Amino acid sequence: MASMDTSTARLAPKAARAPGSLGTGDILRYALASIFVGFCLFPLYMVLSTSLKAEADIFAFPPAWSFRPIWDNFNDALFVFGGTGVMPFLLNSVIVTAASTAAAVGLGAMVAYGLTRFRIRGGSHLFFFILSTRFAPPVAFVVPLYLMVRQTGLMDTHLALILIYTSMNLSLVVWIIRGFFEAIPVEIEEAAEIDGYSRLQIFFKVALPLVKPGLITTAILSAIMSWNEFLIATVMTQNKAATLPVYLGGFSGSMGLEWGPYMAVGAIAVLPIMIFTLVLQKHLVRGLTFGAVR
Amino acid sequence: MAHVQIRNVSKIYADGTPAVTGLDLDIAAGEFLCVLGPSGCGKSSTLRMLAGLEEVSTGQILVDGDDVVGRPARERDIAMVFENYALYPHLDVFANIAMPLVARRRPKAEIRDRVGRIAGTMGITEHLAKRPGKLSGGQRQRVSLARAMIRRPKMFLMDEPLGHLEEYMRIELRREIRALHEAAGGTTFYITHDQEEAAAVSDRIAVMSSGELQQLGTMKELIERPANRFVAEFVGEPPISIFEELRATGTEVSIGDWRLPLPPGSRKARPASAGVRPAHFRIAGSDMPGLSAEARLVQPMGESAAVLCDTPAGDATVIVPMAAVPREGDRFRLVAAPEHVHFFAASGRAIRSGED
Repeated sequence: MASMDTSTARLAPKAARAPGSLGTGDILRYALASIFVGFCLFPLYMVLSTSLKAEADIFAFPPAWSFRPIWDNFNDALFVFGGTGVMPFLLNSVIVTAASTAAAVGLGAMVAYGLTRFRIRGGSHLFFFILSTRFAPPVAFVVPLYLMVRQTGLMDTHLALILIYTSMNLSLVVWIIRGFFEAIPVEIEEAAEIDGYSRLQIFFKVALPLVKPGLITTAILSAIMSWNEFLIATVMTQNKAATLPVYLGGFSGSMGLEWGPYMAVGAIAVLPIMIFTLVLQKHLVRGLTFGAVR
Repeated sequence: MAHVQIRNVSKIYADGTPAVTGLDLDIAAGEFLCVLGPSGCGKSSTLRMLAGLEEVSTGQILVDGDDVVGRPARERDIAMVFENYALYPHLDVFANIAMPLVARRRPKAEIRDRVGRIAGTMGITEHLAKRPGKLSGGQRQRVSLARAMIRRPKMFLMDEPLGHLEEYMRIELRREIRALHEAAGGTTFYITHDQEEAAAVSDRIAVMSSGELQQLGTMKELIERPANRFVAEFVGEPPISIFEELRATGTEVSIGDWRLPLPPGSRKARPASAGVRPAHFRIAGSDMPGLSAEARLVQPMGESAAVLCDTPAGDATVIVPMAAVPREGDRFRLVAAPEHVHFFAASGRAIRSGED
């Protein structure tokens, strides 16, 4: 359209400086950003570099910035330790994280939709009540949860962790996705109703696709929480269903710390969730609802 | 195409606000009915009750004799066009238009065929693969109209469909909406607060105010026989001149120094105010019987001009052809045929002959 062309043309001359050249303000900004990024990434660098170092390089002081990388630590972590290595724990973590994330996001989206679209007596109090389940530190719930898990015979099972993590993540999911549902103009759903769709069809065909950014955001947050959770996992699981953090915790046990393999397991623990987050992030398209109305 | 009867329908919202009170409306099959009124007059609530998006507090809505109150929107066999388009932003234009057919599980080939045809009619074929966010307001409303027109529902509901569009687009689209209505032959219920638009698209106009129907009729009837002062003042451009101070003496009534016979219907209700439309006033010489006036302001409107005058009875406006426009300060008399002088009782109701 002609009007669109003129509007982009008007925006174009804004880049007055030649492309590629930076002002002093830009340099300062980039420098500050670089320092901050470096600060954040340093622990990750230490984990990865240590996992690739031989014992002598690990304890070198000042730290050895250049060294000959070895894969022995990863070999130990994957295949040697405890006769089984890290694999079963990795698998447990994947199962528990995937199931609890899917359950929390799925149920949370339904709860949030119901609370935003249906007139429910005391609905706003309900939201506050849902969030209040996060007010107490999780350690306060450990003993009652332990008793419940033992009573139901779920000790050292995936299901125990999946249920607990789902309930822990649910409040956050509901709280965040509610905002996304509220941003959908109600006319879009009314149009779907008139077009002949039932409430359930509207939820799946119209509402859910429109809150995709919210689903992705909450999935990332839930997955990170479930993946890294240690306290509940260490109490509820011993070995059959134990997750990576439990396995990592076991390193600081009796026989002193073997830093190389320890960091190798750490690296293995970081990578899947990092990949998961980076992949999903690409789908975080902002402003999907933009242009629907007006 | 359906015959729609709104029978004594009221809507009171949960907080006690009455939106619609005792509304009776009969929409003939195939009729294009426009509801005209200021914002908050209850026209949107009425449309939403017809759609099934809003519950009816009391009363009946009969579609071809069937009471549809309580039936969900998806079972009412209607199509609706929203003021803000309400397109599905995550779907392309094709899928947007196809939604009503997909919901009814029509075969793929039929959907492709029908979407292609309606897109051609609406002139949006080249946009079928785009998302609504990439379209202009006028194009979006075309998509929304196409989505409504893809079926032959019992009723088309249009909620100020042109409200967000620019003037030239409004004029273009209202012509198309009228043409589509005639081609589709559906019963159409159309809401607007723009009287020019209402006159252009509709067969009949229902004027609403504060939740009540004020008058139902053609634009001509609303202009020539307003049922009450609200209709007289709301409909007509430029607005009617209203004179608040009347003196009734025996069989005559005077507006300022203009003496007129009392209207026949005024034996029971004394006229409290009178109104004359600017187009119905004529300028006459100072020696003629009429309302003495002095031109205060001349507003040219193309081929004619609206002349605002000071009179002993208050302000009055007269429309004069450009060739005969008086100069500001000129003195003359304003006259109008007795049938063009509307008298209103204190309640606002029009006093008409044969009503006492």
